[in-house]
Amino acid sequence: MIRLTGVELRRLTARRITLLGVAGVVLITAFLLFVTWREAEPLSALEQQQARTSFEQDHKMWNDTHVQNEAECRKTWDPNVNPGANIDQVCSYSEPKASDYGKPQAVFSQLVPQLLHGASYFLLFAGFLIGASFVAAEFSSGAIGNWLTFEPRRMRVYGSKIAAAGLWFVPLGVVVTAVLTLGTYLIAAQLGSTAGTDWSDVIGTAVRVVVTTAMGAVLGAVVGLVLRHTAAAIGLVMGYIVLVEGVFGAFLQKVQPWLLGKNFDAFVLHDTTYDIEACTSQPDGSYTCDYIQKTLTFEHGAWYLAILTLVLVVVGGVIFQRRDVN
Amino acid sequence: MPDLAISTRGLRKTYRTRRGRTVVAVQGLDLDVPVGGVHGFLGPNGSGKTTSIRMLLGLIRADAGTMTVFDRPVPARLPEIVGRVGAIVESPKFFPAFTGRKNLELLAAAIGVPKQRVTEVLEQTSLGERGKDRFKGYSLGMKQRLAIAATLLKDPDLLIFDEPTNGLDPAGIREIRETMRGLGDQGKTVLVSSHILAEVEQVADTVSIIGHGRLLASGTVAEVIGGGTTATVKIGVDDREAAARVLTAAGLAVRADGNYLLVDGIENPAELTKRLADQQLYVNELVPIRADLESVFLELTAGEGLA
Repeated sequence: MIRLTGVELRRLTARRITLLGVAGVVLITAFLLFVTWREAEPLSALEQQQARTSFEQDHKMWNDTHVQNEAECRKTWDPNVNPGANIDQVCSYSEPKASDYGKPQAVFSQLVPQLLHGASYFLLFAGFLIGASFVAAEFSSGAIGNWLTFEPRRMRVYGSKIAAAGLWFVPLGVVVTAVLTLGTYLIAAQLGSTAGTDWSDVIGTAVRVVVTTAMGAVLGAVVGLVLRHTAAAIGLVMGYIVLVEGVFGAFLQKVQPWLLGKNFDAFVLHDTTYDIEACTSQPDGSYTCDYIQKTLTFEHGAWYLAILTLVLVVVGGVIFQRRDVN
Repeated sequence: MPDLAISTRGLRKTYRTRRGRTVVAVQGLDLDVPVGGVHGFLGPNGSGKTTSIRMLLGLIRADAGTMTVFDRPVPARLPEIVGRVGAIVESPKFFPAFTGRKNLELLAAAIGVPKQRVTEVLEQTSLGERGKDRFKGYSLGMKQRLAIAATLLKDPDLLIFDEPTNGLDPAGIREIRETMRGLGDQGKTVLVSSHILAEVEQVADTVSIIGHGRLLASGTVAEVIGGGTTATVKIGVDDREAAARVLTAAGLAVRADGNYLLVDGIENPAELTKRLADQQLYVNELVPIRADLESVFLELTAGEGLA
């Protein structure tokens, strides 16, 4: 199977759509770094002067008025207007801070998780698309039949294709995450701050992005094999995103822990949150709704993705083993 | 060394149509292909030839029956003998965006054949110059030649060609025919499925005729022709009316054919000339009209309601 996997890796590398996909990934990576650089750029001297002037004006006004405003607020406070509200909170006039004026400094440890999370989506999609096309094209061209006359052991053929799809995207994922991480580090070092960087966190996120990229390619290959057409595979994904993640997820909020998107975020970001609307009837007869924030853990996301991938790979294998090839 | 390259017993395959109807493609096929030489696998379109070949190659699953290739049960032990089998099923199917050479290199790498062999088989099939062109730009004849080149990568003992001349021009047909005959002469076993009988008759040593997924006749070409029809003789004689009377009186079936008479059911033409000569009627021309594969095929398949 190692030899077959090697052949499949060569075939995947030689495909035009693979090269186009890589070119697209390179362009998007460059674009993401460009956007990061633009966002990290400090304000111009004029803008900084304007921000400072604005802060000084607001601070002066606060100095002049906050005591009087607070006293006025407490004097006119009517507990019946806002039942349950805290007078100390309502009537406090906080002091303006200089850091709230102007553009916040770009901090590497804050920038890089967001950037890698964003990149994980396009890498996942690129992996899925190229993986699906890689296998589906064999069925639509009929070349799979010819291939099987050379190697009739279907599980070996299947395993080699799945392995090749996953393996091929590991170096791509490593290169893209490395370029994004190092590029962002250089930008932050130049224009912002790299203080407080926990490299184990950064590397952990990058590794998880590489894993999801390979997973996307494997799932693409499986779906491409089952549906036998790249367009059908893409249509299935689009349908899932719109119907399940969009419509179903929006109306049935409690299913969010079981949606692919949330579990993907939980895995890549090492925990994520989601909101559930909780509505209750009050003793006074009113009906109030609040959003309760819940956490979806990394472990949940990791198990979810692992089981999903395993199940789909097994199902794909059983289908390929049993299916007539025309 | 086995006597049979391929043997099937009671091979059966059914399909379910989208409307839920069950179609029997192959029903109880018993097929024997001897080792060495060219074996024609004949049948009208839809008679189950391609389905049978696909089952032999493990591409589709048989519902019932047994198959052996070089005495190995397939598909269970197909991996053991796949290196000895080269096959082209229907039209050649390769990766269209890759060059002919690239397609062959991938196949060669998959079975551990050195790259040098790719160059050899490309040369062997006269594709040396065009190997660097993309498969999708190939003519049908070139595609067919590339498919043959692919089968030759393994230097197989059994070659299976399914309708190899479909869509080819006369030169291409002749080329494929010569290739098959050449392989057969080298001692390899060539199974060629076709509905074009003249093509098979020219190259085949043995044939099997199937209809509705069942074997109708099998044997050497001579056996099949001999077993399927009776001999007819065309004779020229001055007094045709008198000759017709003599032969009819002898219980032979006589028909007029222009200036000649056609006499059916003749086993020994000498008998016929003697009977006429006894009546002072002398034959000036005698042409045995030999049955060909096509007439046998039509006769057999007509009996099955196929022709």
